[in-house]
Amino acid sequence: MSNVISLFIRYSAFILFILLEIISFQLIIKYNKSQKEIWANSSNRLTGAINEYVQGIEDFLQLQNNNDSLLVENAKLLETIINYRVSSKDNIFQTFEEQDSTKDYRLIPAKVCSKTLNLRNNYMTLCKGSRDSLFVGMGVISDKGIVGIISQVSDNFSTVLMILNSESRTSAKINSKNYIGNLIWSKDNTRIMTLKDIPKHATIAIGDSVSTSGYSISFPEDIYIGKVSDYRPGLGGNSYDIDVRLMSDLSTVDYVYVVSYNKAVEKQEIIESDE
Amino acid sequence: MSSVWQRNIIRGIFLLLLQLLLLKRIDITFGDFNYVHFTVYGVIIMLLPYSMNKTGIVLIGFLLGFIVDIFYDSLGVHAAATTFIAYARTYVLNLTSPTEGYNKSGLTASNYGLPWFLTYLSVMLLLHLVILYSIEAFSFVYIKEIIFRSVFSFIASFFFIAIGTLIFNPKY
Repeated sequence: MSNVISLFIRYSAFILFILLEIISFQLIIKYNKSQKEIWANSSNRLTGAINEYVQGIEDFLQLQNNNDSLLVENAKLLETIINYRVSSKDNIFQTFEEQDSTKDYRLIPAKVCSKTLNLRNNYMTLCKGSRDSLFVGMGVISDKGIVGIISQVSDNFSTVLMILNSESRTSAKINSKNYIGNLIWSKDNTRIMTLKDIPKHATIAIGDSVSTSGYSISFPEDIYIGKVSDYRPGLGGNSYDIDVRLMSDLSTVDYVYVVSYNKAVEKQEIIESDE
Repeated sequence: MSSVWQRNIIRGIFLLLLQLLLLKRIDITFGDFNYVHFTVYGVIIMLLPYSMNKTGIVLIGFLLGFIVDIFYDSLGVHAAATTFIAYARTYVLNLTSPTEGYNKSGLTASNYGLPWFLTYLSVMLLLHLVILYSIEAFSFVYIKEIIFRSVFSFIASFFFIAIGTLIFNPKY
């Protein structure tokens, strides 16, 4: 005990010094306006910086959730655009709000589980299946263009026949002219596809945009695909072979939207009965 | 001993009156140049007897600063600075100790020589002014103002005190 007291006596000057400095600063902050403001300001700045940092960590942890919700949001927006296009073409006087309750197209967001791009026949696997109401024949698009068509579905997964597949055939049109042809993949370049069956009498310009025709049940009309980069006469026919440069680099696609068309069955039936 | 205390008390009252009634009103301004302030009351702490108790010096430093604050309308600012130099005094004295050591109680030019006193004075005064103006600005955003004020006030106050020392040349 006496040691403690002697310690206090020995450091009494220092203790008093600290005490008085604290009192002084208390007085400064309490009675001087400008210092008070600076104090409040800089302490805010400090706590603000800490808060921001913590918020940053929290945001990072929430990234997955945010991503998912954005995806849903995006799907809704794309859905709106597609349905709007369809409805305004069918009946120009019909307002979109009326159409909303009977939407033709729905988009189901899905994450890409795996994909191949370097093969002749490329497939993509989605982490969603029939439980998420995916069915064979549905089209798959990304925000930058079409991706492929679902060819197999299991409970939780589905396989997409990508447009970069020798078996893939997509009905597409040149926007400015409304000529319809089949889009196939015949080259090794994953960014270039070939549009066949465009008649010779068509006037084509490099840079014309190419989008889906809406003739198939898989894709709605006017989904942008890419641009004409080159064209030449096809082998022994009356048609052009047109090179289309894809807008989307399919190797970077991680999230896709599956297009669900309400009237798909009806349309399929009528097309098949025709044949 | 009592005469030493009388001297210190009289000097303290005189310097305080000088500072608060006269030097406080001196305002040297050339346009934007408003950095010269005579701040001499720190001498009271510097000239307290060498043998004095550290705790007592700190306490006197605080009280002195507090009185100045009341007149300067800046409660706490001068008190913080004077408390600091009162505490730092021991260490400054150790730094600037003369060759023969401190064998006399009065820390004055007449006891230890003018060069020693001016060294001691400049260290203490610079500390006082830098601390004072830093606390007054309260943020290193105003680093330019702090430096200018400290330097120019230091020059003015230093010469003021040096001349005073030469005129009065106190023994205690």
